Amino acid sequence: MSWADSIVRALKNNNVRFLNYVPDSKIEKILEAARKHGGFEFLPLTREEEGIGVVCGQAIGGARGVLLCPTAGLGNSINALASMAIPYCIPCPIIIGVRGELGEFNPGQITMGQATQDILDALRIPAYRLTREDDTEKITDGAMRMCYASDGPMALLVTNELAGWKEGTPLS
Amino acid sequence: MIDRAEASRYLVGRLKDELVVTSLGNEKYDLRQAGDRDRNFFNWNSMGLASSLGLGLAMAQPDLKVIVYDGDGALLMNLGSLATIAARQPKNLIHIVWDNRSYAMTGGQPTATAFHTDLGKVAEGAGYPKVERVETLAAFQNVSDRALKEPGPWFLHCLTEVKPAKSGGLSSPTANKHRFMNAIGARH
Ligand SMILES: Cc1ncc(C[n+]2csc(CCOP(=O)(O)OP(=O)(O)O)c2C)c(N)n1
Repeated sequence: MSWADSIVRALKNNNVRFLNYVPDSKIEKILEAARKHGGFEFLPLTREEEGIGVVCGQAIGGARGVLLCPTAGLGNSINALASMAIPYCIPCPIIIGVRGELGEFNPGQITMGQATQDILDALRIPAYRLTREDDTEKITDGAMRMCYASDGPMALLVTNELAGWKEGTPLS
Repeated sequence: MIDRAEASRYLVGRLKDELVVTSLGNEKYDLRQAGDRDRNFFNWNSMGLASSLGLGLAMAQPDLKVIVYDGDGALLMNLGSLATIAARQPKNLIHIVWDNRSYAMTGGQPTATAFHTDLGKVAEGAGYPKVERVETLAAFQNVSDRALKEPGPWFLHCLTEVKPAKSGGLSSPTANKHRFMNAIGARH
């Protein structure tokens, strides 16, 4: 069982039906596991801010969806979180592929990636770091349950400790 | 040019179990003044998000018609949602855009539709199968009646005047949400 399978099992266990996403390489691992497990519907987005709207729309319609995106996508989503998910008290789970940490090769990923935790803290959005395969299912499941009890957003951070990092062209 | 308040009264008079999600602009007040409905979801300040909220709702409730009550300025902030909606083709979605060619809420500054942008053509290019340009109340009545009956996704590009709506009458975000969800028996 891979870490991505563990995440997908926890999503299933929490009756998640819609996976709304802007991909990155970590997110693709989760999508791949979800395609294999079956029972999900996938919605590709043009921008993560849309995804907050879509998850909130699904939630007020009585269905469970999550947004999957890289840390850059959290940056694209902030006002939608602050003006919709938070004031309307809508459970809005976000699974974020973390960039800008260990092994990062892309200078354009560093600032947003490293600001992610502070941004989530400033919005009072609880965040859980997934760093080890053996507790990924437990943490994901617990975070999802908390999210639906809290009626607010929640972030799961898929770290490089867990998923490794993307090899890229070094600066020359 | 259509009087948006009058058209809103016509539409609300026709509605039964349809769900309506608004944008943050003046159109939400015209909808509210046209009648108090459990199945209206009002957007206080998420500029551009109405179309995405409507898509999510249409996916969760495929047997109900979902009406997005949008404005030109707000939609211009989330044009990508047109492509996302067109890719998904939710048959139960009716996207009504009130185009007054301005940001009326913030002082009437021109939007891009005051220049060269035609939102109906953008929707067509994105891949909405049913796009109508609506310039009179009679045309609005005709096209909205059809949209309520026939499968979509529909895009009603409605040209209206720069006329602020009578404000007021909205409840708090959470009161609105609970009332809406109770009306359709939805739980988180
Ligand atoms: C992200 C964001 N940017 C700017 C604003 C300020 N604002 C509030 S309403 C509005 C205009 C909306 O225009 P439109 O959708 O055309 O509706 P209208 O005002 O014409 O009724 C603006 C710019 C805001 N609330 N949120």
